[in-house]
Amino acid sequence: MAKLEARGITKYFEHESHRLQALGGVNLKVESGDFVCLVGPSGCGKSTFLRIVAGLEKPDGGQILFDGRPVTETGPTRIMVFQEGALFPWLTVRDNVEFGLKVSGIPREKRAEISERYLDMMQLTKFAGSYTHQLSTGMKQRVAIARALVMDPDVLLMDEPFAALDAQTRDLLLVETQLIWARTKKTIMFVTHNVAEAAVLGTKVAVFSNRPSVVKREIPNDFPRPRVPDDKELIDFQHEILQELRPEVRKGGGAGAAAAPAAAEEAPGEGASGANKDDTDAEGTVAVEEEKRREGGTR
Amino acid sequence: MSPSALPSSKKRSYAPHKIAFYIGLVAVWQLVAMAGVWPSNIFPSPYEVGEDLAYGALDGSLLHGFATSMWRLAVGLSISIAGGIALGIVMARRESFNQTVGSLVLGLQSIPSIAWVPLGILWFGLTDAGIIFVIAIGAVFAVTINTYTGVKNIQPHYIEAARNMGATGGRLITDVLIPAAFPYMISGFKQGWAFAWRGVIGAELLFSYLGLGYMLYVGRSLNDISQIIAVMLVIMATGLAVDAVLFKKLELKVMSRWGLR
Repeated sequence: MAKLEARGITKYFEHESHRLQALGGVNLKVESGDFVCLVGPSGCGKSTFLRIVAGLEKPDGGQILFDGRPVTETGPTRIMVFQEGALFPWLTVRDNVEFGLKVSGIPREKRAEISERYLDMMQLTKFAGSYTHQLSTGMKQRVAIARALVMDPDVLLMDEPFAALDAQTRDLLLVETQLIWARTKKTIMFVTHNVAEAAVLGTKVAVFSNRPSVVKREIPNDFPRPRVPDDKELIDFQHEILQELRPEVRKGGGAGAAAAPAAAEEAPGEGASGANKDDTDAEGTVAVEEEKRREGGTR
Repeated sequence: MSPSALPSSKKRSYAPHKIAFYIGLVAVWQLVAMAGVWPSNIFPSPYEVGEDLAYGALDGSLLHGFATSMWRLAVGLSISIAGGIALGIVMARRESFNQTVGSLVLGLQSIPSIAWVPLGILWFGLTDAGIIFVIAIGAVFAVTINTYTGVKNIQPHYIEAARNMGATGGRLITDVLIPAAFPYMISGFKQGWAFAWRGVIGAELLFSYLGLGYMLYVGRSLNDISQIIAVMLVIMATGLAVDAVLFKKLELKVMSRWGLR
């Protein structure tokens, strides 16, 4: 049985007068220990899909099965690492990392012991007493990952966690993420529109089509690890992903979407950072999706 | 509200200006009083006011009045802070509650606390409870509205992340909503304090039942203008001190923790 299975997930967004279908029946199976990277053109709804998996948003149709049972509510079995980290500015790094443990009622000493371990793993021990505004973007993402890992989730959901990082920091975290995955044997779903990231990280790459999105193709990735973005063989693999992606991006025609493959084609390692401009580039529809997402979150 | 709260240049210290201004002010006051334009029972000199202050300080009457007012204020303000936070959070999280009770809150907020005095007297009599009622109801809506705004402005990602990590119900309120809205809530406390301080003095004047406001009332009945001015100085000093010491410290602490300053 799959650890996690999406069956025919559909999702609509209201855009002024008309309805816009973001997800057109997404099917995806994730086995325990898989590291699945979801790539797709900007605004195709892959982040929305991840939020549905997390239970932060309700699908309009379809089901998420977790260990074979349908889930609708959010909870610590599927922990999300947000793009901007979503760290709590009123807490120190240590208290941020311990937050989930605290709300699940784990006693102080035990919490300290667990958080110490993950702070150490993410090389944050020195910053344990700092507040989050004192950290660089890269450090913040480390905290966000540590905060997720202490919960010992069955599935780790990462929503473009490295999109806001500079290239150097990202490359470092790409290596570390592989190590964490190897050490913890976590099942990971990782959304990115950076083809290089997907190629480096995943055991499988799921390519999303343009709206209404479906998983167009799943490409297994068995290259030996540790991988770095400019491995020769990986560059070929990245081209394979791009082959799938390019027609989808053309269909979309959004400015942000077009930037991704164009830049990546020139030099996949570098080009990835060009693609990092993120959904903010794209037009109205994406903005609406973003907005809906935010609104959904306030509930 | 306090002079130091007005924008001032960081590089240059205006302390000498301030000292000179206040010395000058007192000197002019003394000169006008000495000129004898008005009799001293109508326009007392700063010396006489100072004497009254010293006298009130020595016989303990000022301290007693101050303590009485502060005690009432502390109880009333605590009630309005607790109530305001609760109301504000529910308003922010339940739109139906916001549209109904919330609209009433907006209306009630426009009533000056002093206008609650008649109800306070009729419902509670000339008691501490009546005065505390006036203070609490005068301050509660400022706390409510600021808490509401604060909770509404919380980044949705904070709440989502917390829920995702298993925080629900009370835990979500104490560990996320309140701390995340706290920078706004401080403004609510400040406004609440200002309303409560005005409210307690006003209520005491009208209830004429102990406290600094009552001392103003006594001063008026006895035509003792220097006592009135002495009490007013204490009221002003207290207002400034609480603002500058308590709230400024709290604000600085929160702001620096969030990296907003």
